[in-house]
Amino acid sequence: MNRLPHGRAAYGIAAVLALSAGRLVLPAHAAPAAGQQTPPVLQSETAGVTPFQGLAPHELVYSAMDAIAPPGIRIIDGDTAKPVGTVYSSEYANFAWAPDNRTLYISETYWTMGNRGKREDVLSIYGGPKLQNEGEIALPGRLISDPKTNSFALSPDGHYAYDYSFQPAPSVTVIDLKQGKVLTSVEIPGCGLVFPFGERGFASLCGDGSLAVADTDAKGQYSVHRSKRFFDIMNDPVFDESVADRKSGLALFITYDGWVHPVHLADQPRFDKPWSMEGAAGLSPATSQVGQITWRPGGQAMAAYQAATGRLFVAMHEGHPWSSEQGGSQVWVLDVRQHRLLKRFDVPEAATLVAVTQDAQPLLFALSDGWLWVMSADSGAVLRATQVVAPGVLRVRGH
Amino acid sequence: MKRLLVDNLGERLTRRLAGRLSRRSALARLGALLVAAPAFPLLPVQRARAADEGKGTDFSRAAQTDDNTACNYWRYCGIDGNLCACCGGGMHSCPPGSQPSPTSWIGSCINPADQRSYLIAYRDCCGASICPKCSCLGTDHAMPIYRPQANNHIIWCIGANTFEYHCSMAILVGLAE
Repeated sequence: MNRLPHGRAAYGIAAVLALSAGRLVLPAHAAPAAGQQTPPVLQSETAGVTPFQGLAPHELVYSAMDAIAPPGIRIIDGDTAKPVGTVYSSEYANFAWAPDNRTLYISETYWTMGNRGKREDVLSIYGGPKLQNEGEIALPGRLISDPKTNSFALSPDGHYAYDYSFQPAPSVTVIDLKQGKVLTSVEIPGCGLVFPFGERGFASLCGDGSLAVADTDAKGQYSVHRSKRFFDIMNDPVFDESVADRKSGLALFITYDGWVHPVHLADQPRFDKPWSMEGAAGLSPATSQVGQITWRPGGQAMAAYQAATGRLFVAMHEGHPWSSEQGGSQVWVLDVRQHRLLKRFDVPEAATLVAVTQDAQPLLFALSDGWLWVMSADSGAVLRATQVVAPGVLRVRGH
Repeated sequence: MKRLLVDNLGERLTRRLAGRLSRRSALARLGALLVAAPAFPLLPVQRARAADEGKGTDFSRAAQTDDNTACNYWRYCGIDGNLCACCGGGMHSCPPGSQPSPTSWIGSCINPADQRSYLIAYRDCCGASICPKCSCLGTDHAMPIYRPQANNHIIWCIGANTFEYHCSMAILVGLAE
């Protein structure tokens, strides 16, 4: 102590120490009354971090709607509707969990002076028992846009990450997560987004209504080819937020008018016959005819797929053609194997995003700009609700 | 059909450019400036055809021509963002403190006053924090992100020296007929 400098510096340090141990010194003068037992002395505390147990089956992870809400990757427990933790991110970030459900990869962008300066695109890695930063991998570029779930994804085995880049030449950056480095950038002219399949393959949607399919040869070199055109881009495009099951490679490309195009992703993709959601409900299929008001899919991340049961959950609204971003007053539950409407759940207010857990007692998450409703995926009952920041990308364990 | 031919040529040129550009090159920056230009003729064909048939669109049927701070102003059929007209700017001028991006997405909107279809370049103003006024979402024939020239989800600050989104303008380019 005698080595401490006198004056304001020493006073400041003492103030900090007093504050950190403040709970110990304050009650000393409060002596118990006669006849009362003396309560045990409270134990001193140290600061730490609540251990992160890995992403649980009923937890929802969501980023923020850029420029509107504070950025960050937030974890919320669907069983309690309470926050579990938050990881820092830039605006316009996307993220994915490794198959171990403990390692979080965030694709994000920073500028050295906030709104200007040198741009740095990075894949940030978080993990360990405290979900702390474990480093970054520099990226050659990224897409800067409103949240797009399918702009970033991992290969099914978690070995590779695929990051869609638009500058404005479109490409997909392939990152080897085991080696911690960028392997290559695959040019996908006229196409965008990424839907992984197999060990190293991915598909992208194209502006002419086809798919670009990229896969490696025996030497690990990527080549890209186009599939047939399978949807009408000018009149009934496929949603950016269409869903895919990475494990099986089944993609469900959903059009603005509610047609589902099942595609088995592979080097030579297999296209099943499209079916209409409205048709599955016993209605006439929606069309792009001006003035036709009918049920249509819409919102932001408007669909979720539960692979084990083959159920597709879609936010639906009654609207006119091109009302593709209108939130849903209902969530329709569709059997993708039988092409049947199983149930229609009412949502308290228009839901623009949905997610469903992949476990045997699934929860359905429906979100608006400010609210999260946790629902039973089987009955549609609203189990709990909480306020949330305007959400961006949603992820659950296994998706 | 002649117009369609021009469209196809424009689209092929866009793709060829996009496919050959390396992302960090000066050519890429030039491409950023050019990418929207060849794409301009793409959308109006469909919309002009709709106008020719006297149908309009669901947006144009409810659109008005008087108040450019309201989301149903006719030029906002494909806008997504905060209106610069509410933030100290105008239809083609950025509010002070921000700067116009050289790139844009495009749409074509029907003017209820003359029932003609006009080409609109939606251009973001960048560099200042978001202007939290007059948030509008026009989705009339707006395309998904994998058809970027008509997509309003991309932050179109490409080519500006900042990606900070402030607001969006709707600049009239000309007749789309």
